[in-house]
Amino acid sequence: MIGEKIRCLLAMLGTDVHSKGIRTLAQLLRDRGVEVIYLGEHNTADGLINALIAEDADVVGLSYSTATYLHYTRDLLVKMKAAGVDDVPVMLGGLIHADDEPELREMGVKGIFGPGSSMTQIVAFLQDVTGKTLTAP
Amino acid sequence: MSDAIADAVRRGELRSVARLITRIEAGDPTIAATLRDLHAAAGNTPIIGITGPPGAGKSTLVDQMLARYRANGERVAVLAVDPSSPFSGGAILGDRVRMNRHNTDRGVFIRSMAARGRLGGLAQAAADALVVLDAMGWDRILVETVGVGQNEIDVLRHADTVLIVQTPAGGDTVQAVKAGILEVGDLFVVNKADTGSADRTVSALREAIEFRTHALGADAWHPPVPKTAATDNQGIAELLTAIDAHRRHLQDHPEQLALRRRAQARARVTEHLAEILRSRYLQPTNRSERFEAIIDEVVARRCDPSSAAARLLHD
Repeated sequence: MIGEKIRCLLAMLGTDVHSKGIRTLAQLLRDRGVEVIYLGEHNTADGLINALIAEDADVVGLSYSTATYLHYTRDLLVKMKAAGVDDVPVMLGGLIHADDEPELREMGVKGIFGPGSSMTQIVAFLQDVTGKTLTAP
Repeated sequence: MSDAIADAVRRGELRSVARLITRIEAGDPTIAATLRDLHAAAGNTPIIGITGPPGAGKSTLVDQMLARYRANGERVAVLAVDPSSPFSGGAILGDRVRMNRHNTDRGVFIRSMAARGRLGGLAQAAADALVVLDAMGWDRILVETVGVGQNEIDVLRHADTVLIVQTPAGGDTVQAVKAGILEVGDLFVVNKADTGSADRTVSALREAIEFRTHALGADAWHPPVPKTAATDNQGIAELLTAIDAHRRHLQDHPEQLALRRRAQARARVTEHLAEILRSRYLQPTNRSERFEAIIDEVVARRCDPSSAAARLLHD
């Protein structure tokens, strides 16, 4: 469809306050033509899901810098399923330990971008899961 | 026969609403019947427009207004428009950050919209989104835009009450006059009133408003200049009282309300006319050989641009 944009919700759950990474990602995605709906820190799973529905986001990105991500991500994915929005892909970024990747994949996380990930990888992922093309370089 | 999507909107099915707004934003022509259906029954919800320069505190103000409306038991929808990058077409829609506490409240619906590069199309998309929200039966609708360009100002035409948010650091009133916003505002809010010389800003604004309205007669609305400090939740009750006073003024002066509705309808139709012309002539895929032939003539200076446009329209 003409005028289709990738709408990506970026948020942090729980008490994690290290927002430098997610803010940088928001700007990098904007510069590649993505419409970023930025929710910032301290979100609850229920609040995030309501925002996700209202914004009709194509994809959700979560950033973590603390070791609580397994708990928070599982909680979100369970609640997304209950709300009927588990069709929206979820990606994770930040300090994600490689050992946890199988468990995250199993619970339904579609993209994991830990330390060393590149924008090229993230952009390729976004285009792949949304079926939309980014026109900006 | 009523439209299935329109019915879902009226039932308040949020995902249907959200997807419909996405299609409005994308300029999907297949939703025309849905919008026609919804438009017929719209026009009942008070729409409050909020604009002002970046950093004036608009989103924080909206957050406090939401809290107070919710405390009164009113259900409120918000349309938050943010600029797009002119370079990439992307955007960071960050207004929700200030309103996050309402995310878990089903009595509040917040939708962000990027201005995207469309010429005038923003006002059209925003107006259609407002029709959708209107049909859902909220008690109030708030629409927030950054007051930086004609596109954003045009969005405000669809509001019944327009708040222009200024700050004590916002420069003198020449800035306000320059931007042409004095004519648009129904209330001029001086936010961050706990900082700087708020009273001077208030009196300067009052003077500029009076200069414009003194000739309008006793029946005219005289925009008030309430002071707020949104981060400290100061002055919000007074602001809401002033908003209600403006609504009552329009109800008490049906001829003024009628003029406003007429201006809104005229703007809507004009936007659609412009959009039809734009898509007919400006979409690269729609540029006909005839169009390019006339452009060739203009390049060769055998025809001037104004005559060329006239000839295209009369084809």
